[in-house]
Amino acid sequence: MRETRGDKTVYRSLGLGGFYGGGAEGMIDVKNGKVLRVRPFRFDEKYDRTKIRTWKIEKNGKVLEPKWKSMPSPYSLAYKKRVYSPNRIKYPLIRVDWDPYGERNPQNRGKSKFRRASWDEVTTIIADEIRRIHAQYGVNAILMQGDGHGECKTIHSPHGQPGLLLDHMGGFTLQVRNPDSWEGWYWGAKHVWGQGTQGMYWPAANIVKDSTEHTEMCLFWGCDPETTPWGFTGQFASRLMYFWRDIGIKQVYICPDLNYGAAVHANKWIPVLPNTDVAMQLAIAYTWIKEGSYDKEYVATHVVGFDKFSAYVMGESDGVPKTPEWASPKCGVPEWTIKALAREFAKKRTSIAHYFGGGYTRGPYSHEPARMEVCLLGMQGLGKPGVHQHQMTYWGMPRMEGLAGTSFFNPEIEERLAIPTLSSIANWQESALPKTLVHTHLLTEEPLRFHGIGSIEGNVANQFMEYQFPIASKEGARIRMMWTDCPCRTTCWNGGNDTEEALRSEQVECIVAQHPWLENDCLFSDIILPANTYMEVDDIVTNVRQGGQFADVMLCDKAIEPIGESKSDYEIVYEIAKKLGYDKQVSEGLTTEDLQKKVFGYMGLERMLSWEEFREKGYYLYQVAEDWEQDSPGWRKFADDPQKHPLGTPSKKLEFYSERLAKHFPEDKERPPSPQWVEKSEMHDERLSSPRAKAYPLLLMSNHGRWRVHAQCDDIAWTREAPTCKITGPDGYKYEPIWIHTSEAAKRGIKHGDIIKIFNERGIVLGGAYVTERLRPGVAYIDHGARIDPIILGKVDRGGAINTIAPTGTTSKNAVGQATSGYLVEVAKVTGEEWDEWRAANPKAFARSYDPAAGLRFEAWVVQEDESDARA
Amino acid sequence: MKTFVLDLDICNGCYCCQIACKDEHVGNDWMPYARPQPDTGQFWIRLNETTRGTVPKVRVSYFPQMCMHCEDAPCIKICVPGAIYRRADGLVIVDPDKCTGCKLCPDSCPHEALFFNEGMNLAQKCTGCAHLLDDGWDVPRCVDACASGALHFGEEEELKELIAKADEQPEGCKGRVVYINRPKTFVAGTLYDPKEKEVIIGAACTLTDQASRDSYHVETDGFGDFWFEGLPQGRTFSLKFETHGKSKTIDTIDAAADVNLGDIAMDIS
Repeated sequence: MRETRGDKTVYRSLGLGGFYGGGAEGMIDVKNGKVLRVRPFRFDEKYDRTKIRTWKIEKNGKVLEPKWKSMPSPYSLAYKKRVYSPNRIKYPLIRVDWDPYGERNPQNRGKSKFRRASWDEVTTIIADEIRRIHAQYGVNAILMQGDGHGECKTIHSPHGQPGLLLDHMGGFTLQVRNPDSWEGWYWGAKHVWGQGTQGMYWPAANIVKDSTEHTEMCLFWGCDPETTPWGFTGQFASRLMYFWRDIGIKQVYICPDLNYGAAVHANKWIPVLPNTDVAMQLAIAYTWIKEGSYDKEYVATHVVGFDKFSAYVMGESDGVPKTPEWASPKCGVPEWTIKALAREFAKKRTSIAHYFGGGYTRGPYSHEPARMEVCLLGMQGLGKPGVHQHQMTYWGMPRMEGLAGTSFFNPEIEERLAIPTLSSIANWQESALPKTLVHTHLLTEEPLRFHGIGSIEGNVANQFMEYQFPIASKEGARIRMMWTDCPCRTTCWNGGNDTEEALRSEQVECIVAQHPWLENDCLFSDIILPANTYMEVDDIVTNVRQGGQFADVMLCDKAIEPIGESKSDYEIVYEIAKKLGYDKQVSEGLTTEDLQKKVFGYMGLERMLSWEEFREKGYYLYQVAEDWEQDSPGWRKFADDPQKHPLGTPSKKLEFYSERLAKHFPEDKERPPSPQWVEKSEMHDERLSSPRAKAYPLLLMSNHGRWRVHAQCDDIAWTREAPTCKITGPDGYKYEPIWIHTSEAAKRGIKHGDIIKIFNERGIVLGGAYVTERLRPGVAYIDHGARIDPIILGKVDRGGAINTIAPTGTTSKNAVGQATSGYLVEVAKVTGEEWDEWRAANPKAFARSYDPAAGLRFEAWVVQEDESDARA
Repeated sequence: MKTFVLDLDICNGCYCCQIACKDEHVGNDWMPYARPQPDTGQFWIRLNETTRGTVPKVRVSYFPQMCMHCEDAPCIKICVPGAIYRRADGLVIVDPDKCTGCKLCPDSCPHEALFFNEGMNLAQKCTGCAHLLDDGWDVPRCVDACASGALHFGEEEELKELIAKADEQPEGCKGRVVYINRPKTFVAGTLYDPKEKEVIIGAACTLTDQASRDSYHVETDGFGDFWFEGLPQGRTFSLKFETHGKSKTIDTIDAAADVNLGDIAMDIS
């Protein structure tokens, strides 16, 4: 294979989860300094198949074993296009009308273009600004936004590197990332079953094997195993679902859309209205209690508060029995189907599957369906054979020999390498601001008060702690400077249009963005630093995130030289540190190889092979542990003996009624001590019963992207050719698809492929009509994370960034999560008058440099050297 | 002879075949078999998708479409300069050096698998990644990237068990690409009792082909659902439900496409 293989082949995690725990391994062939191809990894490239012990799961004579090839997702295989995207930032940029020594024009963020600058100029300005802000306002006036998913790198981790420098300089305000993909589990389920992992079922060891052997029916409740796992570990979940089909496990999908998993795997699709699941769940509980078809013995010995829970379900406490008849108009599912589901659930050994949760756990009051689900599982003997909650393949895969952590990242990695990732998972600064409240802070004078900081590894007790921002001590400061390496808040978080307004606040004197692509929040910054991709650095990645078939640690040698003048996220921070005299503190004098060896050491690999052998092979492939089949599955021990194996809740049992919630939040109508149906509240009025529904009669469903990982990968020309990725409008612009049911389209005179608008009081988002039977009536569906392309800032977006019109409020009053699905909207054709109005209001928006295949180009926002009017 | 077998039963619609083909051929020159494929617009393997049925009885079927490497290829016959040829292993190749850009071949292809590159004045299509096979790789890129194992490639002899499952093939010529488990028609629905507002479980359902009088039998399941699958295409049926000593008949079901009959009320009191 000498001729066609290129000059060299290097290894990569093609996953986009980040946090130095990779997955979806791949091989990159390189020729003449360019990426030749990206292909699945061959696990036996350097190992003899017969010498590696692998796992085997069996049922009814059918066998599932790992394949010797990884299963990356399509955008992973198309990553060459991302590396060479026309939207790559090629050199440092400064906004044309931002002068740190004169007029700063914050009002023009998101409007003005950028000019080319040198690394020396931008690092000098940033160093000066940091010194000035520190002197004038204190260290906490700098907000560091360094969290979320991204490319899998360890040394050059894409997020949180600025925290290394700022921490050495005395601290900063940390933007605390909320559990944005699984709010419900975090803010709800934890109050029933304790901490879990990020609020989900834990321990969850070996449940893939246990469910394979014992589960008769699996409910995919808002879960899409053909979409959400893609960005993390690839497509093994798909293979497992085909195997489960072959061994006869019934797969029932409960979701408003026939998602991509349901499209090929569902034995039954129950299309529920968005964010109304709790009504159906309550009716299921009602049916079980009425018919006595729940595990009474388990409830008696493993549950507290069942009487109060039951009193609400049966209507004894509020006069409203939660019957199927009561639930049906709320959730849009026929009474007979609700009853049938309740009976099947009670009769068959049933597990429920998720991959975090998607729209199901991302709406207003998402803690309610999440904890109600835990109660339902509890009523059917959670932890008994075949009765589990699956984070589908993310937990519960066979244990690997010698792999200490089986978490999504390796917790043993320390200090210098761990600190950037810490900013995504923990609150490690005194001054901290939840990501969901950043825009609220910038738009209001009053200090913010809230309960629970919301960091993803935060414990249950933290949810009862009261916080204030700015902090009440003399160290407290309002935000005057922002430094982001995750510039996607406008398209991925709550209140996008409010965020667009907030980022133009005069209060913020300097916004620095570092990113490989010129997109989203970058447009609202003053200085842009070109970061590079995983292809352009030497690194090491621990592919230990579960969901693949193997685990391994691999050296990731640089594939190509950096594009343009880009540097890695770490190198960028190091350059700025040099200007501030903190370079030695930041680097600790360690070379890349020193750091690779440290990771080798943290992983305990010296017990497995020598550094030299590791260097020569390029990766270490773990074997499955000899005794993995003996690992007790999930909650089996608790199910068998709750006295000996208690839960971490105050009562040591499942809490269907939380005394802690009752004590701390006695007035909370949105998250009372037991799960309830909440029609409306001060925070949200997003039900079909609302008077608002007259103008906005559809419920919006927004899932994690099929073709993106949040905001990542929106510019890949090849995926954009898929009919569910983009819809080419008559104007040649590739619009984000907005799904509506055939009947809803007919009512509005909308045809497939029309340019339509989806809107509410918070703004208008344009998209391409995707008229389909894959969505129930009464719903509009659109993935979140499309690149913003504002026509009118804070009001009209052409790029399809749906979160611009998401509620600005949080999950509920005492839960600072985001509510970005399950809210009221309307869709309509865009009229000629509207186009005329928008063109007149902002002609520049229609003149942006646009690649018909990949979308907006770098030049869309950068003045070219020959542009006569530099003050665009 | 090299053969592709495409198992539609386990195609999950991920598009990795389509993407991997572009990764291999866009921007890369693999002479003597292929000049670079344009960035977009050509699909040497294209994934098609069809949504079948109506809410809530809906399925999606995926269908990868590619050059069939026909044994009696019309493109070879129509090519005046003789630029299109079949290799000894059965792969049909357009020789970029011999192609004169006459544009006759794309229209001759019944499988819409030949493309014309205006910029290079060249007809282009799937080469079976002949450049890789010649260099010792085991399979073409589309097959390598297929996560679910739906795409197979190899010697006809090695794949004969799969080939034996081949059903009706796309119309046109005899190709070296074999489809198995092609989706057929379904008729489905849910039976319920409007008085009790309960689904009806275990009802005998008999679907009868009005022309052939062939009949098919299923029972409603725990959700009151009945699914008749694998039905011959384009037929008209009648459907009879029998339970609790009662019966109900739907006289005419036009199954030109997949049919969801919805929630059907049946009085059983």
